[in-house]
Amino acid sequence: MAERIAIVGVGQTIHKSRRPDVTTAELCAEAVEAALADAQMTMKDIDHVVLGSFEVADGYFNPDKWIIPEIGAVGKAGFEIQNVGTTGGVTAAASFNLAATGMFDAVLCLAWQKMDEAAGAFSRGGGGANEYWMGQFPMSPITNFARRAYSYIDRSGCTEEHIAMVRVKQDQCAMKNPCAQLRLGLTIEKVMNDVLLAWPIRRLHMCPTTAGAAAVIVCPEARAKKVTDKPVWVEDWFTCHQGGALTMAEDPTASTLRYACDVVYKRCGITNPLKEIQAWEVYEPASPAELRWMEEVGICDDYTAWKLFEQGKVGIDKEIPFNPSGGVTATNPIGCTPVVRLVEAALQVRGDAGEHQIPGKIERALATGYGGQGENVIMMLRKTA
Amino acid sequence: MSHHLPEISDEPVIAEVIAHTNFLVSTGATGTRFLKEIRDNKKIMGLKCPGCSKVHVPPRLHCPTCFVKMTEWVELSGKGSLTSYTVVRYQEPYMPKEPPYAYGVIQMDGADTGLAHFLGEVDLDKIKIGMRLEPVFKEEREGSILDIDYFKPSS
Amino acid sequence: MSTDQKQEQEFIQFRYPRQVPYQHSLGYQSKFANGLKQGRILATKCPVCGRCTIPPRIVCPFHHVKQTEWVDQGQRGRLVSAFKINFPMFDPRTRELQSWETPLVAVELEGGASMDGWCSELDTSKLKTGMLLEAVWRPEEERQGRGDDILHWKPVEE
Repeated sequence: MAERIAIVGVGQTIHKSRRPDVTTAELCAEAVEAALADAQMTMKDIDHVVLGSFEVADGYFNPDKWIIPEIGAVGKAGFEIQNVGTTGGVTAAASFNLAATGMFDAVLCLAWQKMDEAAGAFSRGGGGANEYWMGQFPMSPITNFARRAYSYIDRSGCTEEHIAMVRVKQDQCAMKNPCAQLRLGLTIEKVMNDVLLAWPIRRLHMCPTTAGAAAVIVCPEARAKKVTDKPVWVEDWFTCHQGGALTMAEDPTASTLRYACDVVYKRCGITNPLKEIQAWEVYEPASPAELRWMEEVGICDDYTAWKLFEQGKVGIDKEIPFNPSGGVTATNPIGCTPVVRLVEAALQVRGDAGEHQIPGKIERALATGYGGQGENVIMMLRKTA
Repeated sequence: MSHHLPEISDEPVIAEVIAHTNFLVSTGATGTRFLKEIRDNKKIMGLKCPGCSKVHVPPRLHCPTCFVKMTEWVELSGKGSLTSYTVVRYQEPYMPKEPPYAYGVIQMDGADTGLAHFLGEVDLDKIKIGMRLEPVFKEEREGSILDIDYFKPSS
Repeated sequence: MSTDQKQEQEFIQFRYPRQVPYQHSLGYQSKFANGLKQGRILATKCPVCGRCTIPPRIVCPFHHVKQTEWVDQGQRGRLVSAFKINFPMFDPRTRELQSWETPLVAVELEGGASMDGWCSELDTSKLKTGMLLEAVWRPEEERQGRGDDILHWKPVEE
């Protein structure tokens, strides 16, 4: 029987496009220091470390060699995980699994990305594409989401202006989040006149390259209750990595999000997601993706999410509090991004999100990680045990 | 239209792929201070932990044992002893020197950690663990650990 | 190793350009590459669901059964999406930054599988979802068993 587990501490760096003042390891130490301080713990209390690194996106190979000493974790049990954009998600899932065994009192989940060290190499060079199957074409996250958005517009009847509304909403949220990287004060007009990368994707629609790190400390129930009076319970988690196959077969706009959410909702007994989940931190690598993801997580019917933006229903203090942190188009230390979602979701449950706190009681929060051609990691958080 | 298509070969294909990368690595404020002291003043500096008093060369921001920030810079003479070494006699792309060459771990006097660097002005067959060494700096220095050309035996 | 400094920078950074060669075995998928050399697009078919997939796979990703059947996907397909890349992007072949005039298209083939390619029609306003496209191949002697052995997809009248 698995132990019930809770998040007892969270930490993240202030996310920036460039951090030449720190090494990758020193950047990680900032997040670890913040998480330990939040949990009122020291490194002595941690007995397992899970590192998450999308190595090709920062060129920091064999990173445990550098990071473990820098965070004072020499001699502790630990390993490193990588899984493209969902890296942080699987790092969290592995940490949850370890804590749920009851073998460890406190598991430190740490992910990072210092994309200022590899931005040119990765973002425009087809870094995510399989060299053989798509390598002949200049494929990248930009063209991937251009293709998805083309088909979304084609099928839903929404316009470019609706996608701009999504971007403005994301920015309005980010403006209230001091850790967010892009806080731009956008208007629909500014977005509509931005540089077109690949129709309908404009530069502002695409997630930026970010230097940032985030850490979460997870404990089994007995320990969690001793450590904090504000534990955030991890109700369920699920990883789904059949992306390329599942998504491209029938629907070029789809990801595995619907499938993965269905699994978790069923296990948690959730029948009306919008009512039963009060906070959403869903990994949307491009603004149009947010529309499709809102449909896939069960907030609305297929190809109707744009109408919710038209009606002004999406925002921190609105009917649908989707990505109150500003989301991934504001901040994207790619392999770390799912842990940023997790940190933000946990803060929402605790009521500690500050200016971007969703009003009212947050009983449940959903955080996700996205990667590649549609892979997803689902993390469901709860206030009450 | 379904066939096993025997007319198309099953001959195994190997796809040749060259991955081009161009990573930029930050040395950070701590690494920068260390490298600039070498470049501008030919000085090797370490950081001392306020918890365990160990001196780290090369320096790092946090003590690996105590996980506290180290802020006390210590200037070293540069002289030290060889704790381990090897002689490289094979060649690979991206090696910093033509083989054969020797490199070792040098524990600087006053430091508690080892620094890896090249050994020079020494007969490759006469290198001994424990031998005394001192740094030889390049004339033209650019802010790199290779501004120290190598360590040579010292009297 | 050289410092990245046109002028004195506050923080030292190093750039590491590298070229790393790999040899990837295509294994069961070799038949697809060999088909391209002969001007044919092949996909594997699942005996349970009947889906044809590119890249071909030895096992159906949905039903976990062996896909022993190969299906010729024909020379024509329907346009799924089309857009131009409006910014300089690395050519994956040469790794040079270059501009791209040709629209990138996703094509659903007659046989049911989908693949990416270039389009011969440069005016994207003339490209519509569902329009019929036909493969235009490189001369046989130039083909390398890669996706870009298909030079581009050309709109055809119906």
